Amino acid sequence: MSDEARAATAPPRAVPPGAGDERWIGELRPGEREVLLDVKTQDMEVNMGPQHPSTHGVLRVLLRADGEIVTGAQPHLGYLHRCAEKIGESVEFLQYLPYTDRYDYLAAMNNNLGYSMAVEHVMGVEIPERAQWIRTIFAELNRIGSHLISFGTYGLDIGAFTPFFYAFREREWIMALFEKVCGARLTYSYIRIGGVFNDLPEGWLEELGRFLDVFETKWAEYNDLLSYNHIFVERTKNVGILPPEKAIAWGCTGPMLRGSGVRWDLRKDLPYAMYPRLEFDVCVGQGRMGTVGDCWDRYFVRLLEMKESVRILRQCLRQIGPGPVMADIPKTIRIPAGAGYVGVENPRGELGHYIVSDGGKIARRCRVRGPSFCNLSILPELMPGTMLADAVAIIGSVDIVVGETDR
Amino acid sequence: MVAYLKNVWAGFWTTLVGMSITAKYLLRRPVTVQYPDERLPIPDRYRGIHYLEQEKCIYCFQCARACPIDCIEMDALRVGKELDWKKFTLDYNKCMFCELCVYPCPKDCIHMGKEFAFVVYDRRELDLDLLSAKGLTPDAKERLAKAEAEKQAKAAAAKAAAPAGAAAPAPAEPPRPASPPAAPAP
Amino acid sequence: MRMLLDPLRSAAEAAAGAAAGAAAPQGNFVTDLLAKISPVEIPWPLLVLLGALLGSGFFLLLLFITPYAMLAIWAERKVAGHIQCRIGPNRVGPFGLLQSIADGLKLLVKEDTIPAGADKLLFVLAPALVLASAIAMFAAIPFAPALYFTDLNLGVFFILAVSSLATIGVLMAGWSSNNKWSLYGAMREAAAVISYEVPLGLALLVPVVVSGTFSLRGAALAQEGWGGAAWYLFRDPFVLPAFLLFYTAALAETKRAPFDLPEAESELVAGFHTEYSGMRFSFFFLEEYAAMFVVSAIGALYFLGGWSFPGLTPLVEHLFGRGWIFNAVAVGVFSAKALFLVFVMMWLRWTLPRIRIDQVMTLGYKYLTPLALGCLLGAAGWELYVVPLFGGGR
Repeated sequence: MSDEARAATAPPRAVPPGAGDERWIGELRPGEREVLLDVKTQDMEVNMGPQHPSTHGVLRVLLRADGEIVTGAQPHLGYLHRCAEKIGESVEFLQYLPYTDRYDYLAAMNNNLGYSMAVEHVMGVEIPERAQWIRTIFAELNRIGSHLISFGTYGLDIGAFTPFFYAFREREWIMALFEKVCGARLTYSYIRIGGVFNDLPEGWLEELGRFLDVFETKWAEYNDLLSYNHIFVERTKNVGILPPEKAIAWGCTGPMLRGSGVRWDLRKDLPYAMYPRLEFDVCVGQGRMGTVGDCWDRYFVRLLEMKESVRILRQCLRQIGPGPVMADIPKTIRIPAGAGYVGVENPRGELGHYIVSDGGKIARRCRVRGPSFCNLSILPELMPGTMLADAVAIIGSVDIVVGETDR
Repeated sequence: MVAYLKNVWAGFWTTLVGMSITAKYLLRRPVTVQYPDERLPIPDRYRGIHYLEQEKCIYCFQCARACPIDCIEMDALRVGKELDWKKFTLDYNKCMFCELCVYPCPKDCIHMGKEFAFVVYDRRELDLDLLSAKGLTPDAKERLAKAEAEKQAKAAAAKAAAPAGAAAPAPAEPPRPASPPAAPAP
Repeated sequence: MRMLLDPLRSAAEAAAGAAAGAAAPQGNFVTDLLAKISPVEIPWPLLVLLGALLGSGFFLLLLFITPYAMLAIWAERKVAGHIQCRIGPNRVGPFGLLQSIADGLKLLVKEDTIPAGADKLLFVLAPALVLASAIAMFAAIPFAPALYFTDLNLGVFFILAVSSLATIGVLMAGWSSNNKWSLYGAMREAAAVISYEVPLGLALLVPVVVSGTFSLRGAALAQEGWGGAAWYLFRDPFVLPAFLLFYTAALAETKRAPFDLPEAESELVAGFHTEYSGMRFSFFFLEEYAAMFVVSAIGALYFLGGWSFPGLTPLVEHLFGRGWIFNAVAVGVFSAKALFLVFVMMWLRWTLPRIRIDQVMTLGYKYLTPLALGCLLGAAGWELYVVPLFGGGR
């Protein structure tokens, strides 16, 4: 309640209780003293972050709160700013690749893919088919890995600790699969300009198949444990409702947009890699528990996308064939003068790279459109009027990676 | 009223379902790998601390040039065909293990090893020297000495040949195979 | 210890008291000592209370609460670990059993910080008050027919009243910390405890109606028997729901998940004890685990038949009489029941998400309170009209 609202509802002043008489407020008897009950109140400013367990990193949100009710929220970014774009304009094209790992570090494969595709687009190279299949496999596998973290930490935000560990248990297997191919567990630099760095090791695809079988049983368990849990549903349904028009107007992408019921997925609408040859559904929020576009919808879209990714991966396993994995490109990449923008569907939304080249070894301009950054911008819009615990639920449902919002 | 009771039932039932799942895992074996005692196998392509096959290196700077953060520094003197190594350091304060240095090497002499636990007391120690031996390697010294001896022998032979006819110089021994690749850095 | 030296007599007395409907307050050795050394005559009820509190304070803290809390903390971490496919503490001692001791030592030697701008007096007092209430709660809990500090005839309400004292401590801690998150935690605790006292008390009235006594010992004695059929849980269809309601409200009273809003980690960092460190922090911890045991003990005594176990305790009684052996077995059975309820609390904590504060209020006022009232009415009606049909009743 704001000051004005309180002033309107609360009696301006009262008198000490008399003996069963009814008097108008303000009417005083001899010897009685006026007592002001309407104490001046003000909203409390609470600093949520940068060191707070549920801001997913070093995001700082300045909350205005009237008791438990949040009346305003202002995210402050930049604690993890590392000049990623400027670095992109000062190192060679291939040298920038490891930096792309580091903005959305939970989906480094997708970042690699986005950057490589942007450079290839400006260069005009053809990528061999097997490389495309491998890229698709890794993009989807990393989508599962990233959504697993999102699922786990969302449970943590809501107060359930255990799903987090279950999510990490499965993610560990994905990490091991990545490690076998590229030797790294988080910052892969595997998808490179012109294809992928090296071919899959022997028996890797079979292990992926085994993982998918196990993962599907675990996926059902996640739903029983968390998604349909009554407390979880009550905590997330009808909270932080993002209507579709607003989601579009604020430039939200990814599960944030699809949670609001908008069927927009770059994999389907502007297909790249091998997606045109794959069958999959675009999962959208349907307001199954509350209203379309609430936190539960956003959360559940992610879970459904994991399921779709499993479907895609199974198709990839069936269709992938032998062949080269790297296009014939020089060791030092020079790009003819030109510019190009390529967006890919990251787990968090559209990751776009805009690259301008003046014909040299180094990009003239390297601009990144980060999904978390754009999605986060809607926070001040969603927060007011919710409760403090809902604020945590909303931040969690946006699913930010601060490395990417700050870049 | 129906909604009220449904709500009570949903809360009760979903709690029981959740408890049954957690109870299932309570009785199962944990998946933890107790790291220092047990270790997971490290895959062959693991990107850990580099190791250098010093014998093969031709001091061409390709790896240093490929490095996005310039963490490789090298210095050597060319003595004939041999390299008198001063340093080949890789600064692990900076290195991000992207493997971009391995890819352009023409002699395939820099590799990423399986070592990952690299702990020091002083950050300066992270500026690791990848050389197995500074200066000229014993082999190189031997080869240089041999070449020198040959040269002198040739000169002597030429000198001797001038007055006393041709005395064939001793046939050069084939160079010994390169020493095994340098051990991974500590 | 009189009660230990003469178990048969006190048991007989208590049984007689229970049969009469209300057990007379009994003293213990501390009471006697106090009466002897006090220069002025202390009124008897006050003397009983003082004796119980001092006795429980000195002996229980040393002999029971601290070891129990350490074990419970270890068990909690172990349960959490295995539920989450981890191992839990396993480095210090066998199965990590000594982990709590190591942690306790660490907390002892940690720097004791008081934040700038804190209300120092309240900040220092708060953990002491919280711990004191936890110890005082144990005063009225009988561990066996002859092992108890005092058998208050309003034992249940004494415990409920004293347990609310902890709330004041939590409020003091939250307020004095000079930290907004702590204040939030304290306010939430106050709101939750005030709302949940009602359903907790109402749910507890159901076994009280059944047993006809507020004395925990009297209720437990009344549930002894061969088959376990004397357990109030199986007495009529209203006690089982009342038990579930009691257990839910008890979770809220003890700030356990899913009602752990005062220390909600993902929302309030650590809630009211954000600013505490070292031993003071451990006092809050101790209180949490002590309170868990106390509410579980009430549940065990009032709903789950106290120290009686079908086949076991009657057999022991038949073979050895109600002497030392019986009391030892009774302590074991009672502790096992209480600890099982504590284990369920841990199990719930690692399964459920956290409830929002308005939902806590809704649950308390709209669900638990009316349902508990319904159970109370039902149980009362059952005792009045149904039990006489089978020839029981008073």
